[in-house]
Amino acid sequence: MDLNSINEFLAAAIRMSAPLMIVGAGALFTERTGVFNIGLEGTMLVGCMAAVYFSLQTGNLWLATLGAMFVGGLFGLVHAFLTITRRADQIVAGAAINLFALGITNLLNGPLYAGYEYRPRVTLYPVIAPEALQNLPILGPILFAQPVIVYFAFIIPILATWILYRTTWGLAIRAVGDHPHAVATAGLSVYALKYIGVITSGVFAGLGGAALTLADLGLFAPGMTNGRGFAVLAAFVVGKWNPILVAAACILFGSADALQLRAQTIQLAIPYQVFVMLPYLLTIAALAGLVGRTVGPKTVGKPYDPESI
Amino acid sequence: MSDNVKKRDILVIPGLGGMVLSGARPLLAILLAFTVSAIMIIAQGANPFEAYWAMLRGSFGSVAALANTCVRAAPLLLGGLGVAFGFKAGLLNVGVEGQIYVGGSAAAAVGLMPLPVPPWLHLILAIFAGFLGGAAWGLIPAYLKAYRGISEIVVTLMLNYVAIQFTSLLVHEPSPLAEQGAFFPQSPPILPSAQLPILIKGTSLHIGIIIGVVAALILYLLLQYTPFGMRTRMTGQNPEAARYAGINVRRQIVIVLLVSAGMGGLAGMGEVLGLKLRLYDYFSGGLGYDSIAVALIANSNIIGVVLSAFFFGALRAGAGKMETAVGIKTPIVQVIQALAVLFVIMIGFAEYTRAARKEKQQKQLEEVSVDGP
Repeated sequence: MDLNSINEFLAAAIRMSAPLMIVGAGALFTERTGVFNIGLEGTMLVGCMAAVYFSLQTGNLWLATLGAMFVGGLFGLVHAFLTITRRADQIVAGAAINLFALGITNLLNGPLYAGYEYRPRVTLYPVIAPEALQNLPILGPILFAQPVIVYFAFIIPILATWILYRTTWGLAIRAVGDHPHAVATAGLSVYALKYIGVITSGVFAGLGGAALTLADLGLFAPGMTNGRGFAVLAAFVVGKWNPILVAAACILFGSADALQLRAQTIQLAIPYQVFVMLPYLLTIAALAGLVGRTVGPKTVGKPYDPESI
Repeated sequence: MSDNVKKRDILVIPGLGGMVLSGARPLLAILLAFTVSAIMIIAQGANPFEAYWAMLRGSFGSVAALANTCVRAAPLLLGGLGVAFGFKAGLLNVGVEGQIYVGGSAAAAVGLMPLPVPPWLHLILAIFAGFLGGAAWGLIPAYLKAYRGISEIVVTLMLNYVAIQFTSLLVHEPSPLAEQGAFFPQSPPILPSAQLPILIKGTSLHIGIIIGVVAALILYLLLQYTPFGMRTRMTGQNPEAARYAGINVRRQIVIVLLVSAGMGGLAGMGEVLGLKLRLYDYFSGGLGYDSIAVALIANSNIIGVVLSAFFFGALRAGAGKMETAVGIKTPIVQVIQALAVLFVIMIGFAEYTRAARKEKQQKQLEEVSVDGP
């Protein structure tokens, strides 16, 4: 590979990491409030479809983005209702949401494009390539000639970190996951904080879906998230629930994805399937303690019951 | 005690009052799912009664339809049993999808080998290979859960994606299982001696469904009437108490998870040796996740799993007929299935709060009598 194609690959890797980073930043909030949301996979898929739907309906990129976030938020609300109010098992509820998302997107895949003879590609996020930064050696062409959503993908985790670690509201969110009863004693509503956390994760999963469709594809395909939502949850394990490390893990997984796509087109000594497996194997290794101990929020997976301490 | 049991069988639905029988819960959930789906069918401009009627004819209306229902139910039954059995020991095996791939691959590997054995033995070896393949895939989460205390949920989920790619590797050249020069990534056809026998000529009804029903019977008897079943249930209800009662909880977890994963392997075996007759890339397409739904609707009751697998098999078998009759696409089946699970979860809570409230009252009563004036 020459320098040009290496640059091209790295730029693609960053672009493919963007949806993961956005979903990951949102998932921080749900994980921190102690609610595990494997429904993010399905929520992201629905976000993909909503983005295309609203784009076809309004012709406006930003309304499409907001639409995807809104639908994602609705799915987050359902998960919140099931797991917080109904105290359902979080994995079971998330799995049900994934099944529903897969079914509904498969069902609406036809009606989505009804009236079109061929599938039109909707407007993509504009590419922003500042002249001054273009000439930076190496970084210029890799980082600074990207669709606008990619810049957001880098800003959102930083913003999320700031909110979680530098605001009192963030402190409450973090405390809910570790010591919900202490939060309740302090006069805050545990339920409200958990709802906010889970809905936030849904909103950003929807945005991640929009980033997946509107950054370079411009169309919806059934099952197109293909495990990316799960990869984000894996990134939490590898990144040990630290926002910056989680974002870094997302970039790692996005790069593996870009690598496997490349391996399918050019002949590499290693089959492309190995690159697809890599993030998941790495996650299991991290869980098994081969890459340092992983500690999540204390109450993840357990429903909050105000009466039992 | 008997009073307690009776109370638990009453289902309380907010705004609707009490309802007898816990079996009513899944039925109510399915009814609600059909109702909501009917709204979607109307929204697409079709008559839901016509649609459901066509579906019923497509799943039970003829011998071919019934055969199709059984073929569709077989992997869901085997996979659903795996999930339900794990759940009895408190394990949530969400890795059935991966176990289907590895079990199917192992069965294919044996089924493609021209072994110097009689045909019936070849078939049995291939079937066992399917079980062992799935169980082997369960070994990793079982070890990590039992000896390292790591949640089986994330590990089994992650291993699904590894398994899918593993099978993909097997059917692409230069793998020895891949067909030379084939246009699609696939294996050569399974040898006739290792194919599951067909029950009704002219249909694709293979013995997978019988394997499933027999497995259900064995698991049911095992859980209800053997010390092993007792240990399994105790491990699931309260691992601490089980440990104090002298049960080797670690060993129990490993065995149950291996059997659970083996059932997933059998589901994959049935698809490869009975239906597809080759190993294909992505041959399962989500059957493992549907198996979780099957077990959830049955509330992990083994007999309930048989019923719910047949129900979902019937839905799938009838979906094609519905599509040709009223033009509603087959994925409506996935929607009905997911809605039924969502409603089961939603309704399930009523029972739970009732039991919890009763427990709390009991506790308060005890406290009062202890701290009394």
